[in-house]
Amino acid sequence: MTFRTQNTRALDLATLTPRDALDLAIVIEEEAKERYDELASQMELHHNPEAARFFRRMWEVEAKHERLLAERRVHLFGAEPQRVSREMIFDIEAPEYDEVRANLTLQSGLEIALRAETKAHAFFAAAAQVATLQEVRDLFSELRDEELGHQALVQRELDKLPEEPATRRYGDEDEDEDIVAL
Amino acid sequence: MTIPPARLQAKDFKSELKPIWCPGCGDFGVLQALTRALAAIGRPPHEIAFVSGIGCSSRIPGYTTAYGFNAVHGRALPIAQGIKLANPELLVLVAGGDGDGFSIGGGHIPHAARRNLDLTYIVMDNQVYGLTKGQLSPTSRRGLQTVTSEYGSLERPVNPLLYLLAYGAGFVAQGTPADLPGLVEVLEAAIRYPGFAFVNVLSPCVTFGEDDQQLRQHRARMIPLAGLGHDARDRLAAMRLAERYGEEIHTGVFYADPTPPPTMSALIAERQRELGVGAAPRARVFERFLASEDRP
Repeated sequence: MTFRTQNTRALDLATLTPRDALDLAIVIEEEAKERYDELASQMELHHNPEAARFFRRMWEVEAKHERLLAERRVHLFGAEPQRVSREMIFDIEAPEYDEVRANLTLQSGLEIALRAETKAHAFFAAAAQVATLQEVRDLFSELRDEELGHQALVQRELDKLPEEPATRRYGDEDEDEDIVAL
Repeated sequence: MTIPPARLQAKDFKSELKPIWCPGCGDFGVLQALTRALAAIGRPPHEIAFVSGIGCSSRIPGYTTAYGFNAVHGRALPIAQGIKLANPELLVLVAGGDGDGFSIGGGHIPHAARRNLDLTYIVMDNQVYGLTKGQLSPTSRRGLQTVTSEYGSLERPVNPLLYLLAYGAGFVAQGTPADLPGLVEVLEAAIRYPGFAFVNVLSPCVTFGEDDQQLRQHRARMIPLAGLGHDARDRLAAMRLAERYGEEIHTGVFYADPTPPPTMSALIAERQRELGVGAAPRARVFERFLASEDRP
């Protein structure tokens, strides 16, 4: 049996070894980390410091996840070669580029992060179901549950925000006006 | 024991320069797909030349680590052909927008196609002039209201896919950053095609583009050609599908010549063999540009 998703290329989730699965988890975090770095840079270039700060915070969060997984990888498998590469995955936990706009508000940023965590959860849930080896299923189940925790964290931050008018969210409104408002 | 060379990764093709495109622009995905395709091709950055014209999308060579040439408006193709003729070993990519390619540069396309140098021409088709703040472009749909078509465009848009198929290009494909794995696949196939290859990338403008042409809509509307059972060896079938440009979002390879004809570089090499002459040494070529009294 083979199992591929729309977000992967040349990667069969059904036949992953524990080492491959851990490497996959690492590159997923790496991709998300780099995307948040890119989004933060975009916001800085477009004079949106609040959104830039938020994406930098998300970068730190993803960098921490990546580091923890990388330490586990070294502990379990040392320097054994990596077969899973970044080129095999597409936006699994990274927000899509077209999610953002120059006049993005903090609320929209949090909603983007929430959607990213939700799709990562869906990916790990599907992967846990199709993996052949129990060890791999356990790892993906663990990662799936962690994503639920991340979603709850982002949701709590969202709940703290005052309700903002729909017109202040990214979209049709006048960009200059919003940058001043931020 | 010899150490095998390290496998190239997409990040090896990304420069330190931060793209200044508007957040949400389709071109971010094109850059992502292109660097992945180049990693899969496996040629190092110093063996690649990337030529562009003028426009938002023409900034793309600067965001890669390949050699880059940001040419004048509409002139990317002639310059790229010159580079390929001078150094056939280089992998030469050409990029630009629909305005750069089909308006001011439109006259170069049939000649690039018929000369058949081994180039890959990537047009980031956003159907508007984005850099200059939203004027009508050659691929803008009829009826589109812009600052230069206040009451709606009366012009029939150019169909890039039909153009290239009619001009005899050996490889014609279309992609969208809404489907990054699919876009990587067509870019990789285009680069591997031995001859002139064209990829139309529907890459929407978030600032001046229409709401129903954005990537979110592409995801809902795109139709992969592979799913239609299209035979990419059949040029006429490709043309029939290409007629739907502007109405349907077909993605994938429309046409790939199953028996690619010899490239112009190959024909030149053959002519040189027949005549028993080789290419002039590069130093001799440069001498021709010196004033007669300065020549050695």
